Amino acid sequence: MNTIIKTTARTAGLTAGVAGCLALAPAATAEVSEADFRALQETVRQLSAEVQSLKATNTVAEQLHDQDLQQLHQLQAQMADTARTAADAEEKSAAASQPLPRVPIDEATVNHNFQILGDAEVQFAKATGQNGSFYLADFAPIFLYRGGDNILFEAGFDTTIANNNDPTTTPPNQGAGYTTTFNLSFAQLDYVMSDYLTLSAGDMLLPLGTYAERGAGWLNKIPDDPLARQLLPDAGVGAQLRGAVPLGDAGKILNYSVYGVNGPSSSDTTGDATSLDLGGNVGPNLHTDPAGGGRVGVFLPFKPRYDLELGLSGLAGQWDSSGNHLYTAGVLDAALHLGPNFEAKGEYIRTRYGSDDQGMISQNGWWAQVGYKLSGLNLELPGINNLELVGRYDALHDGLGTTTRRYTAGYVYYITTALLFEGDYEFITSNDASQNNQLIFQLSYGF
Amino acid sequence: MNIKLNRLRLAGLLAGAGLLAVAHPSFTADTNAPVATPPAVTAPPPGSGTTKPPMPAPLTGAELYSMHCNRCHAERYPTERTAAQWKTIMLHMQVRANIPGTQARLILKYLQENSGR
Repeated sequence: MNTIIKTTARTAGLTAGVAGCLALAPAATAEVSEADFRALQETVRQLSAEVQSLKATNTVAEQLHDQDLQQLHQLQAQMADTARTAADAEEKSAAASQPLPRVPIDEATVNHNFQILGDAEVQFAKATGQNGSFYLADFAPIFLYRGGDNILFEAGFDTTIANNNDPTTTPPNQGAGYTTTFNLSFAQLDYVMSDYLTLSAGDMLLPLGTYAERGAGWLNKIPDDPLARQLLPDAGVGAQLRGAVPLGDAGKILNYSVYGVNGPSSSDTTGDATSLDLGGNVGPNLHTDPAGGGRVGVFLPFKPRYDLELGLSGLAGQWDSSGNHLYTAGVLDAALHLGPNFEAKGEYIRTRYGSDDQGMISQNGWWAQVGYKLSGLNLELPGINNLELVGRYDALHDGLGTTTRRYTAGYVYYITTALLFEGDYEFITSNDASQNNQLIFQLSYGF
Repeated sequence: MNIKLNRLRLAGLLAGAGLLAVAHPSFTADTNAPVATPPAVTAPPPGSGTTKPPMPAPLTGAELYSMHCNRCHAERYPTERTAAQWKTIMLHMQVRANIPGTQARLILKYLQENSGR
């Protein structure tokens, strides 16, 4: 309101001033000549033309200024784009210099389902009365193929070489060169039907005790197998249901297996006592009925690395071609771990089989083995912590008149957890004259 | 008089039922029945008179690995194989060593998590 009053007052003031000047003007103009007036008019005209020219120039300048502003904005935008492009290029360059990130592997395109495990052993053996010898004792690969989360095919082979000229055989072999023996030790298909039940079928390592299933050159600690194991078949062709059931939450397990296999057979179709063949009946079945067997065991851990396992297993079936005689076997097995340094295990084995010529043959044997890792003594001596002392006692009564007892003292030096250098000396007492004391060194590798 | 007699009879019946309930085995405190999912139990305050021990925690994959993988051979380091390789090997071990599936999965998880590749 005040602004309007002020503006109105100013306008009234100006109007009054202009009116006053105009009232006074006639008295002043009366004294200007026409020439002066024309000169003044010309001056005003020139000034007016100059003003117009200046206006026009200002308009052009304004236009040019606008254009400059526009160009400036465009340049600024271009600069921003250039800066972004440079930053991107720098990022890409940095990324290109980095190793490519690992892309998750598609299991359908890369086959991690196939594995080769196994072991290999090289031995030096010197038996009393014989030459010291190097042996490629065994190259035993195990092939695993996992066909899914629950399907596994596994097969193990034993490859050995032996002289064609072998004076120790009866009669002595003669010939040049050597023979490679390639044996299929097992080949089975496993189908894990549930957490507690697995179906296995094929040429299976038999659960008679635990030595066959859980033994290998680099696991056994003593190169030779226990004497009594020769009373039992290691493998058989058939089918098996096996599994384990937890007993509570502290790690205790009840494990079991039940199977049917072709079983032992006769090497010459007769029922003579010496014709028993434990591993040759791989098909077709050489007698009328298959054999059956099983194992039940309990695993009782007190805490990690302190545990006891006990098992009872058996096998029964015909063995001669006419089906007149039965073969039966029973095994009691035990294993004890007291900490990471002490292990004790063993088996008691009994077998019986009928025969045409010698009636009922009863056989038995047993073995007990202990091992103690010297790292448990906490001695600060070089190499001690990698050394394990082992000992075994085994005995065999073969039911055909031969009794053998063997005391074995040895060591295992763990070059790594899977590369072992073993040595032992075997003291043998037997009424079989071919059995002699012997010294064995073995280098074995588990892979 | 009849009311008093009936009350006496009722009291006797109730007392007899109480004695029977205490003596019957189905009413004893500990049936030894396994508990599928043991609840967390804190130790009772000292002097409280209760003696029930707390339930042990379930075994971890590392503990099961130490238990089972030391039975037959020296423990292999998880870093020796890739996670995918352990899956195949563990299936072989589950069958060969007769390990329940529940425990085998825990061991496999431990091996894969510590394989580093």
